[in-house]
Amino acid sequence: MENNIEVVSIDTDVLIIGGGLAGCMAAIKAREYDLGVTLVEKANTMASGCAGTGVDHMWAYIPPVHEKMGYAIEDLIESHTKGIAHGFIDPGLLHMIARESYNRMLDLESFGLNFRYEDSPFPGKFRVVTQFHSVPSTFNFDGKDVKVHLTKEAKKRGVKIINRVTMVDVLTTPEGRISGALGVGTRDGKIYSFKAKAVVSSTGRVNRLTRSLTGVWGNTRLPAYETGDGRSMAFRAGLPIINMEFLSPSAFAIGNFELNLGAPRNTTQPAGSIVDGDGKVIVPRTHFYDWDNLGKNRVDTTKALHEMLGTRPSERPDYFSMHHQGKGPFYLDLTGGTEEEIRYIEWSISHEGKGSYFLEYLKNQEGFDFRKDKLEWLPNSREMAGTASSGLVVNENLETDIKGLFAAGDEVGGLPWVCAPGAFTMGWYAGEMAAKEAMNQKRFSDVNGTKLDALREFCHQLFDKKDGLHWREVEIAVQNIVDHYAGNARTEKMLLRGLERLKDIKSNVSLRAETPHEMGRCLEVNSILDNAEMVLRGSIERKESRRIPFGFYRADFPENNDKDYFVFLGQRLSGGEVEFSRIEIKH
Amino acid sequence: MFRPVVFNDEVCDGCNLCVEICPSDILERSPTKGKPPIVRYPEECCYDGACWLRCPLRDKGAIKVVPPLPMKVSIFGGNR
Repeated sequence: MENNIEVVSIDTDVLIIGGGLAGCMAAIKAREYDLGVTLVEKANTMASGCAGTGVDHMWAYIPPVHEKMGYAIEDLIESHTKGIAHGFIDPGLLHMIARESYNRMLDLESFGLNFRYEDSPFPGKFRVVTQFHSVPSTFNFDGKDVKVHLTKEAKKRGVKIINRVTMVDVLTTPEGRISGALGVGTRDGKIYSFKAKAVVSSTGRVNRLTRSLTGVWGNTRLPAYETGDGRSMAFRAGLPIINMEFLSPSAFAIGNFELNLGAPRNTTQPAGSIVDGDGKVIVPRTHFYDWDNLGKNRVDTTKALHEMLGTRPSERPDYFSMHHQGKGPFYLDLTGGTEEEIRYIEWSISHEGKGSYFLEYLKNQEGFDFRKDKLEWLPNSREMAGTASSGLVVNENLETDIKGLFAAGDEVGGLPWVCAPGAFTMGWYAGEMAAKEAMNQKRFSDVNGTKLDALREFCHQLFDKKDGLHWREVEIAVQNIVDHYAGNARTEKMLLRGLERLKDIKSNVSLRAETPHEMGRCLEVNSILDNAEMVLRGSIERKESRRIPFGFYRADFPENNDKDYFVFLGQRLSGGEVEFSRIEIKH
Repeated sequence: MFRPVVFNDEVCDGCNLCVEICPSDILERSPTKGKPPIVRYPEECCYDGACWLRCPLRDKGAIKVVPPLPMKVSIFGGNR
């Protein structure tokens, strides 16, 4: 059959791959320069990414609040480094995020998002709530429509948004500079060939590596369509990817819906507690910050950090062990909350993740009432641990080893739990750096046609191969391998066997598509397969256990070994072979 | 077959905004103008509710997203 797949060629000064929080911010910032900016998105920027249907909180060093309390920005950084990441974090980028997050909040406010509440006693009218720092750094916002606001702002500034194109390859010159990228239109079936002077990769995390616990496809806490495309593209382009071994065990949360609202912190605070079937309290409820007292005296910041470190383990019990001891079932219980607290929690849930739809379902389809009813606390599916600890390696300017290729948000490795503020700040900064890089390039680099020809051939084969497999059966096979060979307890022998089986799929299985939509899913499965291999390879290389904070356990190396493994482990392709590297974490 | 998205064709005016924004791209425009979209790939719904959340006629009941049985929450207490 003749290969008649159409190729659309687009030249753009700056190309942003992935239009979540980071990608949208990058595009918005890059347009402050006199440059053409194109944002290419596999879904639709109005509803895509981890905050596609909302995010209700972010964290920052908040000068009007923290200066009065006596907190310096270093206290927040120390709290994040010690309390959240256990040292396993890039200190330079963390500093940038902590410093710039408040400024990005002000930008978001100018795009129409609401961060201030008349009922708040805090300076600036911020709704400051408990999350995970000893510094009260987390504040709520009306984030349900954050992606609508960002899309409008990007369009207003003249960003060209192309939805429904899944990116497959980044293109480089022989000198190792970025020259463009290739993608596939999952509605029109066309190949998109971009020439660009600078590129930002912000495709988010990788999901669908393991099967969802409920057995329902796509029932993952984070968007099922985020399939680690950026990591896969970067790896195949020879860039190192770090921390891929930290695919974590499952955690307990609201059962079945894969909605981790946290308890007692996060979105179910302050009334949320966890109880067992007899009503015995396992985790007690919390209380709102009391600014009337907090604001009076300056805080002993060292004492606050030590108090937080001291109380953490007891706040997140090991539910699996408790089940083994016969202590289940467990329930999320808000029934002791006041009317004001319940109303606040419902507001908060309605702005967070899938929460808006969750509440609608809970109230209107189940007749559920937080004032009377409890929700069972059950295991959620496994996921790539601790927001963005895995990902690409970047320098202080968010640039990779490929000149002109930047990364932002969850794409960047080595930054556990920087979450939405990480996406806002890194997106903005990467947009600025990419724009400056593009300004310095007089003309576009020539694009080598080999990868384009290969992609055309691959897509053509998808439609032509009558005996190829449906993407779904390949995805399940890969997930079964990750679940079995890279489970909660891993060993070298098992991991090597798992890698053999993944290699077997890669070498011997052909995919088939009947529509451009299915072609997109096939590309996702290829990306999942690349990422799965990285998980298993990284797990072999880390010959220790690191249960906190990543839940990484090697049965053949059960001890923590900081001497040899307090490093980010990188893996990269070099001449067809995988090379490992150790990146020192400097504090 | 799953039935994740249910349209009320007396309320839905076929604006197709949900078709445009669905991140999993499971919906398709109806061939008849003004009619609700078709759920082309029901087993690929990721239940984030984006279609419902952005629907201009959602408060009038144009669209409902229904989780499949294994996803339904387990409820305890109250008057049950």
